[in-house]
Amino acid sequence: MLHLWLSGIGGLLQARELMFLALGMAMGLFFGAIPGLGGATALALLTPLTYGLDPFTALALAGGVMGAVPMGGSITAILLNAPGSAPSAATCLDGHPLAQQGKAGLALGAAASANAIGGIIGTISVLAILPIAKELVLLFGPPELFLLAVLGLIVVATASRGKMLRGLIAGVFGLMISFIGYNDITGALRFTAGIAYLWDGVHLVPALIGLFAVAEMINLSVKGGSITKDAKAVAITSMTSGLLETFRHWRTVVRGSLIGTVVGAIPGVGGTVASFLSYSLTVQASKDPESFGKGNIEGVIAPEAAINAKDCSCLIPTLAFGIPGGVEMAVFMGLLVLHGLQPGPLMLIDHQLEIYGLIWALTGSCVLASFLGLFLARPLSKLTLIDSEILVPTVMAVALVGAWAVDRNIGNVIVTAIFGILGYLMIRFDYPRLTMVVALVLGAAAERNFHQTTMMSDGNLSIYLHRNVCLVLLIGIAALLIAPLFRGLKRAPAVVTAGLGK
Amino acid sequence: MKILGTPVLDYLPALGLALLTAAFLATSYSYSAQARAFPAPVAWVTLALIALDLISRTQTAVGDAIRRHLNPGAHAPEGSHPLGKHFAAALWLAVFAVVLVLIGVLYAVPLYMFASLRFQGRRSWFTSLWVSAVATGALWLLFAVVLRLELYPGYFFGGA
Repeated sequence: MLHLWLSGIGGLLQARELMFLALGMAMGLFFGAIPGLGGATALALLTPLTYGLDPFTALALAGGVMGAVPMGGSITAILLNAPGSAPSAATCLDGHPLAQQGKAGLALGAAASANAIGGIIGTISVLAILPIAKELVLLFGPPELFLLAVLGLIVVATASRGKMLRGLIAGVFGLMISFIGYNDITGALRFTAGIAYLWDGVHLVPALIGLFAVAEMINLSVKGGSITKDAKAVAITSMTSGLLETFRHWRTVVRGSLIGTVVGAIPGVGGTVASFLSYSLTVQASKDPESFGKGNIEGVIAPEAAINAKDCSCLIPTLAFGIPGGVEMAVFMGLLVLHGLQPGPLMLIDHQLEIYGLIWALTGSCVLASFLGLFLARPLSKLTLIDSEILVPTVMAVALVGAWAVDRNIGNVIVTAIFGILGYLMIRFDYPRLTMVVALVLGAAAERNFHQTTMMSDGNLSIYLHRNVCLVLLIGIAALLIAPLFRGLKRAPAVVTAGLGK
Repeated sequence: MKILGTPVLDYLPALGLALLTAAFLATSYSYSAQARAFPAPVAWVTLALIALDLISRTQTAVGDAIRRHLNPGAHAPEGSHPLGKHFAAALWLAVFAVVLVLIGVLYAVPLYMFASLRFQGRRSWFTSLWVSAVATGALWLLFAVVLRLELYPGYFFGGA
């Protein structure tokens, strides 16, 4: 085990890998600082640029991005009350009041050190859990893998914050899209409408660029204006005191990191839950809960530690089971697929070096970006002043040309545009995009496992009831589908009252 | 106009999805039994879920129950922006994609950037020109110089 850890570090400590890690960090801070862009957009835009890179270098770049995004988001959350990404919204609650009191440096310093420590604790947890996960995945054959894909879709749909039905619709629609093209098990060419480009199916990376980067730009274009109206000069002093504050409140850091680690390991729950849960538990545990929301430094430390710990532990379901921990991880799965690394049980066995390289890249980025962010706080906060009328065409151009560059196929541009409009419609009509991405990534593998199971059992579906792991997965699926009915019953009185109020 | 207490327009997203799924299902039945073994059941499940979504949009007791159990967090689109703005944003993207296919990266990008800044963003001629020139230059540097890709020349100029 130790030699794998060291090989991962050794692979990362090459000039080329370090350069791409640094580039990823810079991109992560940049995209993290701009509300509406965030890690998913950054990864979607960067994925085609990694095409010519070897998988290890590409993962170093992606690790750099993912580790740095939270710090970028925290800077604008604290200085401008404009969180770069949804999880950083919890940091606004006390971070911005501190900035208004002239203690922006204190808040930024505390955010940076909490981020770094959270990342390290998250990494330790991943390193501890991965060997166990590796043993577990050996129990999985085609029937289990098929049910796991179904479970993954349902888990992500149920985690869509009260939109389970629409999450499921987006998921099954994504499955339908994944059926387009040549099927290697049945030898049939399906749903291509005679278009040669579609013989290979809908290319994943252009679709992801469309669903995230382009869709967000259409949304920004419709809203118009700049993200923040005025970035008034905020005194950034006392950063060192802020760095030390985290160590004074070590219980808050450890609690936040553990919450982030646990929440991150649950697929589809995401960083927003982690940061707000950590914040609210810190308020409850505090002797002075009234001071929160008015500039309590623990209100900055708690969510920041949770966000970065979550980023590391998110890797567990993503890599081990092919079920993304959140939107960013879903796009990251696209990058893995582009480099021939199919997320799922076999990845833990076949690509251990890449996995450990990624973990160290993510950890290094968490720590380094936190401190780099302190030096870049002021220029990064200015990014939010860029007018959408300049930002939108620039990102659109990079997105469409990037989509073409994936495999130099001009059909990708059309796919990106179509998925951009589809993604925008999904934002507008409130259908979660995450389940569609999961379906696009897992669809082909799910169908392959379905056919292999059918062949194994001569078409007898009772095979799913005769295998222990399958039974556990089936119970999980049933529980997830039934749970909302009970939750709905609990909500009934409030809804009825609201209805009467109308 | 309202149907079961809900404006007709609110049903459109689910109806659109239902139409696409029905077409998918009909197409799947033109393939062999093995080739449609997975797609067809998925399409049937999709239709069932869309039917639930449609019912959940009605202001009826059943609709309320489905919303409460399966979709409590979903909301109707906010109507703060005029419809034309949504179409315009999508149209700019569609036109850019088509122009990119037809005349290639090096002509389409500056043209789109300039037109978008000048006519959509109402920026001055000067600003539109220099921003589009800088953005095109940066793209050329990134893709043609750093990544050593021969930029797509466009369908009219020999692109496939």
